[in-house]
Amino acid sequence: MSVIGESLVAFIFGSIIGLLVQRSRFCNTAALRDAILFKNFRNTEALLLAMMVLTIGFTLFITFGQGNTMKFDVGLNQIIGLFIFGVGMVLAGACTVSTWVKTGEGNVGAIWALLFTFIGMFIFSLLWSYSYWPPAPIAMTGEPNPETFQLGYANAATLQEKTGIPAIFFGIIQFMVLLGIYLKIQKKKKSKE
Amino acid sequence: MDFFKKALDARIALVVIALFDIFLFLIVGAWTVGGGETMMTGLAAKAIIGDQINNIPFWKIVFPPDFGYWKIYISVGMLFGAFLGAKLSGEFFWRFPGSLSEWVMITIGGLLMGIGIRLAFVCNVSTFFGLTPEMNLGGYLSLTGIIAGAWFGSMIYKKILGF
Repeated sequence: MSVIGESLVAFIFGSIIGLLVQRSRFCNTAALRDAILFKNFRNTEALLLAMMVLTIGFTLFITFGQGNTMKFDVGLNQIIGLFIFGVGMVLAGACTVSTWVKTGEGNVGAIWALLFTFIGMFIFSLLWSYSYWPPAPIAMTGEPNPETFQLGYANAATLQEKTGIPAIFFGIIQFMVLLGIYLKIQKKKKSKE
Repeated sequence: MDFFKKALDARIALVVIALFDIFLFLIVGAWTVGGGETMMTGLAAKAIIGDQINNIPFWKIVFPPDFGYWKIYISVGMLFGAFLGAKLSGEFFWRFPGSLSEWVMITIGGLLMGIGIRLAFVCNVSTFFGLTPEMNLGGYLSLTGIIAGAWFGSMIYKKILGF
């Protein structure tokens, strides 16, 4: 697909997401923060449902060699990076989605959060240019590398390749785990009523 | 139109979003936001400091600024869609953080989000709507990090707000 075609698809997709998130007041930060602090699972339930649909959808297409999976090595930097991100999103009261959506609603705090997210990224670019860690995509091998705290690359497609078992089988297992969490939340809600 | 009069059930909205995300996964790749934001940062930095950006290896090796990077337009689209929804439902109005402590928390939070995204190569959207459903090992590592971070952040939040 051409660059313009890809950008157009991305814009249409983003517009639908922006509209649906704005109308539903969904917030990824609240899905975690409200569950931890207030035992309110409104957003958590929605997030779990989306993950269930996506797990089945993605792994079904991966089974038949379809779809564009994300390909890069992973390791310690994902745990540390998302830990830092998790603290930040709770403090800012918004994540990557809600900063854009709230900006569209005229929330100046969200615009401020976006601005400082960009500044944070630029600061990191300077730090990276000194440390060269985590490895740049061109230096990734797909294999574990203890020296750079990297575990390599693995997903439903590599699982299928290595075991000969269709990816959808693993997807169904993950779906059941997510469903189990969802049902546990429902049970908790009912016992409160 | 009812759609713009009352809030949509978040569960319905997220299932519809998931279905669109599957289409995007088939066409270009799963929904992500952090990559587009990084490219915007690079483009903004280039506009401000010009060719000096080539002296920063990150922008030469990892993210050479490029307007044709499709992920940018997901964020632009989200902004447009949210603005449209807010305008048509009469929910658009300028609002400001109410206190100095709120401004400080948003500033620190924004900085941490930016640093965290780049360190991890992923954001919360890639974690929940891309990597984990693809059963990527990085999804599980990111989930561990974001849940621990959200818990730690919530404890700080609780302490600051004093409840």
